[in-house]
Amino acid sequence: MTQFQVKEGVKNLHHDGEKLITTHCCYCGMQCGMHIRLEEKTGKVVGVEPRYDWPVTMGKMCPKGVTAYQTVDHEERITKPLIKKNGEFVESSWEEALDVIEKNYKELQNKHGKNALSVFGGVSMTNEKCYLVGKYARVALGTRYLDYNGRFCMSSAAGGFLQTLGTDRGSTLPWPELEHTDCFFMAGSNTAECHPTSIQWFWRARDKGAKMIVADPRETPTARIADVHLDLKPGTDSALANGMLHLLIREGYVDEEYVNSRCNNYEEMKENVKSFTPEYTSEITGISVEKIIKAAHLYGQSQRSVVMFARGAEQQSKGVNNVRLYTSMALVRGQIGKFASGVATFTGQGNGQGGREHGQKSDLLPGYRKLTDPEAVKYISGVWGIEPEEMPEPGVSAFEMFDEIQAGRIRAMHVICSNPAVSAPHTEYVWDSFKKLDFMVVSDFFLSETAEFADVVLPAVTWAEDEGTTTNLEGRVIHIRKVKDPIGESKPDWEIMKLIAERMGRGKFFNYNNPKEIFEEFRVATKGGKADYYGITYDRIDKEDGVFWPCPSEDHPGTPTMFKEEFGTPDGKANLAVVGWEEADETPSKEFPHILTTGRVVFHYLSGSQTRRTKFLMEQCPVPYVEIHPELASQYNLVNNDKVKLTTPRSAMELDVRLTKAIRKDTVFVPYHWGKELAVNQLTNPALDPTSRMPEFKVCAVKIEKI
Amino acid sequence: MNKIMYLEFERCIGCRSCQAACRECGGHDAKERNYVEYVDFMESRQTYPMLCMQCQDPACARVCPANAIQITEEGVVLSAMEEKCIGCRNCTFGCPFGIPKFDFEENKMYKCDMCYDRTQHDIAPMCASVCPSDAIRFIDFEEIQALRRRRTQMNLIEGKKPTEQDKWQYVPEFFGVYSD
Repeated sequence: MTQFQVKEGVKNLHHDGEKLITTHCCYCGMQCGMHIRLEEKTGKVVGVEPRYDWPVTMGKMCPKGVTAYQTVDHEERITKPLIKKNGEFVESSWEEALDVIEKNYKELQNKHGKNALSVFGGVSMTNEKCYLVGKYARVALGTRYLDYNGRFCMSSAAGGFLQTLGTDRGSTLPWPELEHTDCFFMAGSNTAECHPTSIQWFWRARDKGAKMIVADPRETPTARIADVHLDLKPGTDSALANGMLHLLIREGYVDEEYVNSRCNNYEEMKENVKSFTPEYTSEITGISVEKIIKAAHLYGQSQRSVVMFARGAEQQSKGVNNVRLYTSMALVRGQIGKFASGVATFTGQGNGQGGREHGQKSDLLPGYRKLTDPEAVKYISGVWGIEPEEMPEPGVSAFEMFDEIQAGRIRAMHVICSNPAVSAPHTEYVWDSFKKLDFMVVSDFFLSETAEFADVVLPAVTWAEDEGTTTNLEGRVIHIRKVKDPIGESKPDWEIMKLIAERMGRGKFFNYNNPKEIFEEFRVATKGGKADYYGITYDRIDKEDGVFWPCPSEDHPGTPTMFKEEFGTPDGKANLAVVGWEEADETPSKEFPHILTTGRVVFHYLSGSQTRRTKFLMEQCPVPYVEIHPELASQYNLVNNDKVKLTTPRSAMELDVRLTKAIRKDTVFVPYHWGKELAVNQLTNPALDPTSRMPEFKVCAVKIEKI
Repeated sequence: MNKIMYLEFERCIGCRSCQAACRECGGHDAKERNYVEYVDFMESRQTYPMLCMQCQDPACARVCPANAIQITEEGVVLSAMEEKCIGCRNCTFGCPFGIPKFDFEENKMYKCDMCYDRTQHDIAPMCASVCPSDAIRFIDFEEIQALRRRRTQMNLIEGKKPTEQDKWQYVPEFFGVYSD
C-alpha cells in the first residue's frame, strides 16, 4: 500500500517500489523544487511529485516542469556517439569518435594555429559544467574563441547591472520576500508564461493590496492582471523609463537622502529626463498620457517596490541602456538593499545566472574576473596550474563567432548544450556558417537542429543523470541531484571534456572523478571574485535550502539581500543612468511597415529541443503562429487560421494567423521555439548592443502578405 | 477528507499545468480529466480551469442507465465503473460542464475523480498541488471562508475593479461579491 512522507506538515505520496529523489526542474531560472519518482526495479524515471518544502516554489510547477522527467528515458535520446559518413550519421564507439576529434583538432591547430578551434557553450547546465567549459576551451584547446548562448539571453541585464550597481546578480532580493512588496513594475516580462511559478508571489502580494504595473506590447496573461498595462511600442523602453523618472522627480517621489548618500549622477540625470514629459513619452511609446501618469503615481507612492524586467527590454540593441534606466527607477526610490524591494531580472535559462559568472563569456574568468585584468589571469592560472602567458586573450561574442567562421578564422566548433541553429538571430547566416566549418562537434542528448550540422555528435546526459549545482534567478545556489545512471553509452559533459582534454595532451589539468571535485576547484577559482562561491558547499546547500552568493567563507551566511550597505562599484555608489532614447536598429518603413516581436509560450522552452519531444507540450502548441490585431488583419482581409507570409529584410516564412485584441495594432508576435523553416529567428535582426553584444530579437520591421 | 477544492478563475494564467499534472495522477492513463478554457480568445487572454464540480446530485450519475457512476461517502463522483459501463455516453451529454469524456478505443467513460487515491488521505490532487497561480486550491473550508471575506474587503477597497478591464460590467451586481 501507499505510505506517506511527512515533511513540515505536508504529505507526499509515495508509490510502492519507488524512490522519491529531491531535485529541481531542468528548465527556466526558477529552478522549481520537485521530487523525481524512480522505479527501483527498473531504474527508470516514471514520474514527478510536488516538493512542498522548497521555499521558492512550494510544490508549484508549470506544464514544462510536470513533464520534464519525460525527456530522461525518451526514445529519441542519443545513446551512442554518431559520426557523419557520406552525409549520414553512423553509430560508433567512443574510441572511434574521440579518434576523429583528436585527428581533426590537431590537424587544424597545426595548420591554422590554436585559435582555429572554438567552443560554443550553454547555460542550461550546472555551475560545474559551465566552469569546466571555460577551462576546457582555454586550457585543453588553448583557444580564445569561447562564448555561450547567454549572449542571446542574459548579457544585457549583466551589462546594465554592472554599470549601475557594480555587481551583476539577477535579483537583489530573495523571491519569498515578494509577498510583502507593495508595487511591482515589470517591463518586458511575460512572467505568467515564462516563469509561471513566480505568479503565486504576485498574487499573494496582491491579496494584500499590492499594485502591479506591466509594460509590454501585448496584453499577455501577466499584463492582463496588471493595475496598469503600459502597452508600449517595441523598442521604446528607454523612453518609458526616462518618462517614469521624469514623473518621479516632478511629483516628488524621489528618496533624496538615499540618492544623495548612495548614488552618483543624480543632477545629470535630472537634467537628462527633463524633456521626457508624459506627453513626449507618450508620443514615442504610444502609451496614453493617463496611463503613464497613473503608473508613476502607483509606483511612486509605494513603500516597498520591485522593478523587474526580462528579455522584452533586454533583447534589444539598446538593451543595456534599458536595464540601466529601469534600475535607476528603483534607485531614485531608494529601494535597493531593503526588505521586500529591489530590482530583478528573470533568468531565462536554468543556470543563466551561474553560467554567466564562471568564465564561459569570451572576456570573463570564473568569479566574474576580467580576462583583461593581469591579476585575475595570474590567480586563475595558478588555480588551473598553467602559466599566465598560456591564458588566451579575450575572444568575440556568440554571434560574432559566426562572422569569424565566415572570415575563415574559426575552422572548428564544439557546441555544448546549446542549439544556436534555432536560437541565434538571422539563422540562415548561422546555418551557412556551420556548413563552412571544417569540423564540428556537438554534445547533446537529442539530435538538435545544430547537431544535424555536426561531423561528430557526442551523447551527453540529461540533468537527472548528473550531479551538480545551479544558481537560480534569485542568486541562490542549489543542488541538482543525480537521479539515475546515464542511459546507453551517454556520458556527462564534464567527462566528455575530460576525455577530449586527455586526447589533446592536457589530461593532467582535468583529473576529476566526479562533479564534487570540480566544485571544490571551482570554489577556489571564485574566491575573492565578485561572484564568490568559496563558502558554499554541497552540505550547506542541502541544509540551508540553498545558499546565496556572494558567500566568501564557510561561516558566512550568504547574501540574500544585495547592496544593503554599499554597491559593487569602485566607490560603493550606484551610477544613475544618464542616457536618452534611441530608435531601434530597424524601424518600420514603406516596404516593411509593421513591427515584429518574438517571445515564448508557456508550453515550450528555448529552442524547443526538449519540449517539442514531450507529448503533452507538443499537443498544446504544435506549431508557431502569428498574433495580429483584428484591425491590422482587416487591412489584409485576414481571418483566423489564414496563412500569411512574413518578410523582413533577411528572410521570409509562412505562418498561421491568430487574431487577438491582446496586442498593439502596429505589432505582430511570433513565438520562437521551432527550428528550420518554422524558426522565426530567420527573420530577426542580428544588430548587437554595443556593450553586451546581445542581438535585437525583440524588434524588427516586417511585411505581411496573405497567401 | 477534510479539504475542499477551491477555484479562483481570475487567477488562471492558462498554463495548463493542471492538465499536465492530471495525466500524472495514479490511474489516469496519461489522460487529463480537467480542462482549461478561454473566456474569449479574441478579447483577452483570460482563461479558466474547468474541473468536475463534484455535484451533490450529479447529472452524469442520474442519467446513467447502468448505475455505473459511483459517489463516495465524501461526495466524490467517480469515473464510470468499467464492469457496469455500457458505453451509452449519456453522462457526457448530461453534464452541464462537459467534464465526462468518452474513450472510444477503450469503450469507457473517464472523468475527474478528484484524485480520490490522494484526496482521501488529505493529499492535494496533482492539479491543485502544481497550479502556479493558486487558481486551483485544495484547502480547508475555513480557509475558503477567510479568502472570501478578504475578497469582499478587497472588492470594496478596489471599487470592485481589481484589474483595468471592464469585465465587471458584464456581471450582475450581486454576482461574484461575497458577503459574510
